[in-house]
Amino acid sequence: MKKLIIIPAYNESASIQSTVEAIKRDAKGFDYVVINDCSTDQTRNICEENGYNIVNLPVNLGIGGAVQTGYKYGMKYGYDIAVQVDGDGQHDPKYLMEMSDYLLETGADMIIGSRFIKKEGFQSSGARRAGIKYFTFLIKLLTGKTITDPTSGLRMVNRDVMSFFAHDYPKDYPEPESVVAVLRSGRTVKEIPVIMRERSGGVSSISLKKSVYYMVKVSLAILIEKIRPRNGRSR
Amino acid sequence: MNIRLQIIVAVIIIIALAVIINMIRKKALELRYALAWLLVGVGVLILDIFPGIMEKLATALGIYSPVNMLFFMGFCFSLIIIFVLTIAVSRMSIRIKNLTQELALHERENKETD
Repeated sequence: MKKLIIIPAYNESASIQSTVEAIKRDAKGFDYVVINDCSTDQTRNICEENGYNIVNLPVNLGIGGAVQTGYKYGMKYGYDIAVQVDGDGQHDPKYLMEMSDYLLETGADMIIGSRFIKKEGFQSSGARRAGIKYFTFLIKLLTGKTITDPTSGLRMVNRDVMSFFAHDYPKDYPEPESVVAVLRSGRTVKEIPVIMRERSGGVSSISLKKSVYYMVKVSLAILIEKIRPRNGRSR
Repeated sequence: MNIRLQIIVAVIIIIALAVIINMIRKKALELRYALAWLLVGVGVLILDIFPGIMEKLATALGIYSPVNMLFFMGFCFSLIIIFVLTIAVSRMSIRIKNLTQELALHERENKETD
């Protein structure tokens, strides 16, 4: 069983080293790959000096394009499971073993690490929580499934979903939209409680200014996902 | 529509068509994307030379002045061209993304075998 950790990194020089070291220490049995999304800071140098496994995108693609590169990497090198762990230190790699056990045990296609099942740890700001609740509601309305943390970047998928994502993954703000795509294709998504930390470096990709665009774009994307022709498992 | 305006419009369009064709000749424009512009130019030119067509169309659509009809048609054509370009941009951005990803994975693979 080959398991891959995808670490999308854009200007994460402050936290990339601690993220990768934590993975090496706490996530035994997992390989990792850093997807450097054409960072303009020292991210690339830090990774190369430490001999980390890194894929350097020659053009900045945004989070969706970077994560998708990871899924393509996973397909290319024959991984059975892939999990996204953000490069900013928010996700604790010690949950990964638990997540992969749960994925294999339940036979689910996708496992999301959710902050809002046990409501412990860093809970994000009130405004963001309200936004997340709204997405939960929208997804429930459209798919009938409850996803408590649809914006979580900590998500693990099996090879089937990996190939689905390698073929087609949203460009920006991909999390809620891709969950809907997976649910709509008839695959199963399950959540597991996790505790997230506040980011240890870098800035959130969603500034206050962008949040309006985020809400509108993701809502539309989810609605359009709903009226898209269904893509069966055979894809 | 008076003859003076007709001549001015015709001259502008002919100059524009000449510029477009010259750019295609020099390969600064791809024929594929310039085609819509050429069609619009020729279309408007025909309407300009034969105002009778426009008068009929204008009456049918309830537009009082044939000149307004010309502007209206030009506006619609422009929107079509812009939309076609938006489609082209979407397609290209997907292609560029795929190329970027392939290139990065390829580079990683080469480094491994060195």
